[in-house]
Amino acid sequence: MTDALFLALSALAIWSGWRVFRVDSMVRASFQLMVSFIAVGLIAVLLAAPYIGIATIFMMAVEMMVMALFMVMFMMNPAGLNPMMMVHQHRFAVAAGIAAFAGLVLAVLLSDLPAQPVPADAQVVRALGHELLGPSMLIFETAGVTLLSAMISAVVLSAHSGRYGGSDEGSRPPGLQPGGEPAGRKPDRHDGHHHHHHGGH
Amino acid sequence: MILAAFSLLVALPALIWAAAVFDRVGTGRGATVLGPLCNGAALMLRPNTSTEAPDALNRLLAPGWYLALALIGLSVVPLAPGIVASELSTGLVLWGACEALTVVVVFLHGWSPNSPLPLIGAYRYVAIGLPAMLLSMFVLIAAALPAQSLSVVEVVEAQRGLWNVIRQPLGLPLFMGLGLAVTLRGPLDYADGAELAGGTSAEESGPALALWQFARLAMLVAFSAMAASVFLGGYLGPGLPGPVWLLVKTVAVMAATVAAGRWFARTPPARMLTFLWVILLPLSFANLALVGLEVLP
Repeated sequence: MTDALFLALSALAIWSGWRVFRVDSMVRASFQLMVSFIAVGLIAVLLAAPYIGIATIFMMAVEMMVMALFMVMFMMNPAGLNPMMMVHQHRFAVAAGIAAFAGLVLAVLLSDLPAQPVPADAQVVRALGHELLGPSMLIFETAGVTLLSAMISAVVLSAHSGRYGGSDEGSRPPGLQPGGEPAGRKPDRHDGHHHHHHGGH
Repeated sequence: MILAAFSLLVALPALIWAAAVFDRVGTGRGATVLGPLCNGAALMLRPNTSTEAPDALNRLLAPGWYLALALIGLSVVPLAPGIVASELSTGLVLWGACEALTVVVVFLHGWSPNSPLPLIGAYRYVAIGLPAMLLSMFVLIAAALPAQSLSVVEVVEAQRGLWNVIRQPLGLPLFMGLGLAVTLRGPLDYADGAELAGGTSAEESGPALALWQFARLAMLVAFSAMAASVFLGGYLGPGLPGPVWLLVKTVAVMAATVAAGRWFARTPPARMLTFLWVILLPLSFANLALVGLEVLP
């Protein structure tokens, strides 16, 4: 039973992972990746790691939702339903994919993996908590804060260049002729308050 | 386990009906008691509508996923000592995963018809639903602290002396905010609002709409049972048997959630977003810090 579930979930994880690169929409690709991670999380539950498994599902649901939202926001594909090409650099991607797959398979086959089952009364969640907040706390906290600052910096850097120039300079559309006056409504020379006092100037 | 799952499946339709009746009390929308059944039957007889170039698979599956998430979330609620459908050491995390996937499912429900109003509802809901879910997780962690366990069974047992609603007074009101968000109602209903002609459901009709509404009410039942267990002591209580206490508390939370949805004003999404991030999320941190101080040996 467990073996059949493991095989079915593995097949689902691989199939949906492959679909990520075959669908034509960012939203579909994000949620295919989410399905793949949910299958991996359920495999972790089968492996007697309930916290890691269910937390993976929880995290990936949030993460893929945010990712879909940000991709649609930054790539100006308003709905994510418009068909678009989801892959680029084909030759390099194919070579890198094959090399990574071969490397991971070799690592699995050559390493000496533990095979003894987890005892039924093992307090795995408690042990994980002691590990995360004990010896590994510095590593996890450092990595977490580094990742957060990297994400914020990435958004700040990529959001700076707006459609009509730098986003902190106000939006001025380009001219109708090259080098001409900016198109669209002209901003008032005076602000409203000033204008009110010196009306008629 | 099988007994608990069976009892839940027997009790759920009646509770969903009760939720639909609560939704109609005082609104003047037709018959209060039989109205939901008539409406459901009428929807089942109407055809589903189609839109131009939809994502047909997700559109078909979204209401079913919503219902499935409500059922999975409900399965971690213990009905009596030792009787729970899914006895997990990480029940609170499973409930959190159901919350997170609810945001995804509501988004897909609005995204898949390929139509403007549902799409606006979907994006607005993601912006509001994610912070609401985030703060609910801090509230649930605070409830797990005195129990020293992420299992809902242990969280209920830890309330034998004093219920969490008294020990952590901020917990239940903050968690009710999540309840309004996952059941798409009241001030946090940015998905299916009337100003978007039904939002993510604007293009729906027939059995698909009936199933979506059914799932929405099932999620209200699941949320109420969860809130009753985590904050109101679940099956604990004097005199009556455990499941009866759980039923009474679930119905009470359900009525309170429906009332809160009617009572509180709706705001523009941007203002609600500020309110969630700037006021409610720090309140949930304060709640967690107070509980942490309390359980320090």
